[in-house]
Amino acid sequence: MAAVQRLWFRLRGDRAGMAGLVIVAVFALLALGVWFGLLGQEWAAANGGRWEPAGPQYWFGTNVLGQDIFERSLYSVRTAFEIGLVVALLSTALGAALGALAGWYSHGWIDASVLWLKGVLDSIPFYLFVAAVAFALQGQPWAMHVAMIATFWTGTGRLVRAEVMKLRTREFVLAAEAIGLPDLLILLRHVLPNTLPILLVQASIAFVAAIKTEVILSFLGLGVQHGVSWGLMLAESTQEVLAGHFNNFLAASLMLFALLLGFNLLADALQDAFDPRQATQ
Amino acid sequence: MSSALRTILNGLALILGVTFVSFLLMVWFGPDQTYTLIGKNATAQQIADVRHELGYDQPFLTRYAGFLADLATLDLGTSNASGERVSRMLARTVPVTLALMLPGFLLGNLLGIALGLAAARRRGQWSDRLISGLSVSGMSISFLIIIIALQVLLSTPYGLNLFPVRGWQVSDLPSYLHYVTVPTAALVLVTLGYNTRFYRAVFVEEYGRDHIRTARAFGASPAVIMWRHVLKNSLVPIITRFLFSIPLVVISGSLLIESYFGIPGVGKVTFEAITSGDQPVLKAVVALTAVAFVLIQLVADMLYRVVDPRVA
Repeated sequence: MAAVQRLWFRLRGDRAGMAGLVIVAVFALLALGVWFGLLGQEWAAANGGRWEPAGPQYWFGTNVLGQDIFERSLYSVRTAFEIGLVVALLSTALGAALGALAGWYSHGWIDASVLWLKGVLDSIPFYLFVAAVAFALQGQPWAMHVAMIATFWTGTGRLVRAEVMKLRTREFVLAAEAIGLPDLLILLRHVLPNTLPILLVQASIAFVAAIKTEVILSFLGLGVQHGVSWGLMLAESTQEVLAGHFNNFLAASLMLFALLLGFNLLADALQDAFDPRQATQ
Repeated sequence: MSSALRTILNGLALILGVTFVSFLLMVWFGPDQTYTLIGKNATAQQIADVRHELGYDQPFLTRYAGFLADLATLDLGTSNASGERVSRMLARTVPVTLALMLPGFLLGNLLGIALGLAAARRRGQWSDRLISGLSVSGMSISFLIIIIALQVLLSTPYGLNLFPVRGWQVSDLPSYLHYVTVPTAALVLVTLGYNTRFYRAVFVEEYGRDHIRTARAFGASPAVIMWRHVLKNSLVPIITRFLFSIPLVVISGSLLIESYFGIPGVGKVTFEAITSGDQPVLKAVVALTAVAFVLIQLVADMLYRVVDPRVA
């Protein structure tokens, strides 16, 4: 726990990082509010007129169907967190597992296979791959998540592999090997916990990437199928802005930008806190 | 020589892997075209005939081997959707995509290098903070938002209204500039944040090395240090990033830009092929990107030797 305390101490001194943490926390509260049915529940109701301007009743006006744009952008916070959390957690876990195996058995066949798989996935143009997976799993609401998890792990895998190769030669690992602990136990109890800093930073980067990818995929028609998301709102707005209706665009862009900025600032601060020598500032 | 051989062998393994994954996803699990190719009220015999013609009745390995054989003999076939020869289709669309993406790609990297250098030279000062802050903000804006905002600002009566909203009717230089400006600006803006940050980190590391301190102590001017020491020693990461982002930017980037602006390039054709299951087109695009990656690896190997004597 000393490591966590040290991390918190360094993070508190980083003003940009704290700003990022506050932004992320506010959005997380909004997501919980939507989750527990306190916020954004009227996102599907079409009570207003078509394209009503912003006012006291509809803070960001209404869309073509008369739905409250502010309610929709609030509900989308939950959509964003669902996608971001699922993709960030699973892709980081997959990267940690494959990277640790490759690093532990480095220069063996496991390592070669993992590196080959990473090379293959990195050589397929990303949106082409995602579009193909989304199409192959058509009708599955999880197609988008699967595609992102299958490709996002490679960055984490590379970093964890390098770190595990370094840790492998450290005394505490050699000692654990010398007293005859099984490999898996050493990996899980002594090696992987030491890669936690990398995993935290990578997870926050994956979160950002997942939300950004959702926007593009929803625009291409391969993203969120049911419900509403900032990506769907932006896709809706592409025609509206040409007719001078900017509310959908503004609401989705501002929320999206704020959340991504918060996460990017937090990821930077985490990286600096874990590795002050390489600090970006 | 052995290193070039190893690169080629690794490249072959890579091409096999890429083609296998693509075959699995796009062909084996891809859309079934039987019913788009036959008319209404087809007999069972007609259905069987079409499936046979498309190779759907063959076992997995036979179909994958056929897929590889077609690629190896460069027999790209004809598009199922339009009946156009795939080689002609590529000859028509690839130049459009290159003309569309190249200016933005080059500008995005050059500006990134310039800004990264400017920030790294004055590390920790306000200009560094400003550049770093702007690049984090740039990284937080979605590609789609940038495209929509630029379109409104540059191409509609709500903004400057100087450029066409969409399309690609290019015949000479003025019309090229007319159509390429907004997509180029979008591409530069979306890549600039990431590029600046990457190049800044490279240069900061280089500026922190002992030999730079020694050069300073010997009285080398800041310009000499920047050009002769920092930039020259950063060439390996610069070349790596530059080369390896070519296939991704050209295919993935053009997919979105071309779908949005309705530009008939490789990205748009590819996207349409994915959604309609047009296998011959997919085969060609996937094979081309895999081969491009391997070629780029070979070129990178050669360039490393030129710029870094330690590699040779």
